[in-house]
Amino acid sequence: MAKTFHLEIIAADRVFFEGECEHLVITAIDGLLGILPGHEPLVTCLPTGELKYMTGGEWSYAAISEGFIEVMPDRAVILADSCELPEEIDIKRAEEAKERAEEQLRQKQSIMEYYHTQAALNRAMNRLKVSQKHFK
Amino acid sequence: MANMREIRERVASIQQILKITNAMYLMSSSKLKKARKALEATDPYFYKLQETVVSILEHTPHTAQLYFDRRESIPEDKRKKGYLVITADKGLCGSYNHNILKYTEQELKKAPDIDNCYLFVMGQVGRMYFQKQKRSNERFVDGEFLYTTQNPTLYRARDIAEKMLEKFRSEELDEIYLIYTDMINSSNFETKTVQLLPFTRRHFAVAPDGSLKKLPKASFVPSPEEVMSYLIPQYTKGIIYGAMVEAFCCEQQARMTAMDAATNSARDMIKELSLLYNRARQAAITQEITEVCGGASSIED
Repeated sequence: MAKTFHLEIIAADRVFFEGECEHLVITAIDGLLGILPGHEPLVTCLPTGELKYMTGGEWSYAAISEGFIEVMPDRAVILADSCELPEEIDIKRAEEAKERAEEQLRQKQSIMEYYHTQAALNRAMNRLKVSQKHFK
Repeated sequence: MANMREIRERVASIQQILKITNAMYLMSSSKLKKARKALEATDPYFYKLQETVVSILEHTPHTAQLYFDRRESIPEDKRKKGYLVITADKGLCGSYNHNILKYTEQELKKAPDIDNCYLFVMGQVGRMYFQKQKRSNERFVDGEFLYTTQNPTLYRARDIAEKMLEKFRSEELDEIYLIYTDMINSSNFETKTVQLLPFTRRHFAVAPDGSLKKLPKASFVPSPEEVMSYLIPQYTKGIIYGAMVEAFCCEQQARMTAMDAATNSARDMIKELSLLYNRARQAAITQEITEVCGGASSIED
């Protein structure tokens, strides 16, 4: 069996990664999911979270926000709103976004607004988490 | 000479307009550069998204999912159709707006009952156009649907997608279409319709030998229903965002071309008029000389 599979990670504003990959670990809606070459066909959703993939024996990490993945035995496609390497994350911006979201959560909001703010807070926290974990 | 003064005034006013069109040309060409960059960055996502969703739908098992519900019990002429139309915020961009408005009119004519058509227009020009039309069959344009088409953002696309999905869920709409302008290359645009909702699923694909074969089913984690209820809003948002980026880029391109043409024809007009002006001036001088000569010779006599 092939040792690698073709992985494409495409964010709304750029092609984040395209190439051969040996091992992929994603955060799906109900927990972590590891994907090796020859995986059965699978479709699942990715909430805001962390992602890592192995190329040439080395792990790379990324922060991803809202997307989905289609896995076929020889390839995988991830489509997401945004995807960033830990060193690309703008910590200041994420912190500001977090503060803004927390501020808004204290206000009286409609349910829709509440979900929006919570999603924004989630994204900001995820960015901060990934950047603190892998980039010092 | 009145004629000379008239020509001079005309040239001056054309020169003023030329300054404006030229400035607009420069503005839109710099905006176009930005829009192009965004388009290039979003294009892979936009096309891959459509491709992937098609392939996912081929592998989807039967699900009683809300967004797949075609509501077949409703007859064709009672179905409420929503059209999300992307136009520009401003005019002066050649036939860009005109094309999309004409195309939308044609689409609406195809609908069996125009009373069941609802328009959601992005961009000032389109909204004004459709709101002004007072027809016997009061066509409904959502007046609270106020979105600009300048500098598309994912955030705005998410907002719009949520609104449209909400309308579909609450059965205010049974079918939703998206009308936008697609950029084929820098001089070719195509107005397009994409059906957003409901989703259609294919169970069979045509094999190379022409026979129908059943497509293998993929597994969905945790369940097809849950994945779809997450994936479809995501897809709708992605498609709307992609269409917004395409349309914005087309708009800038159209405006740039139109303003370039306007500047050129203004230059041509000035050239022509200055020729006329010089001719009139020459004629006036010649006449004056003749008069002076005539006067002098009459004195001599």
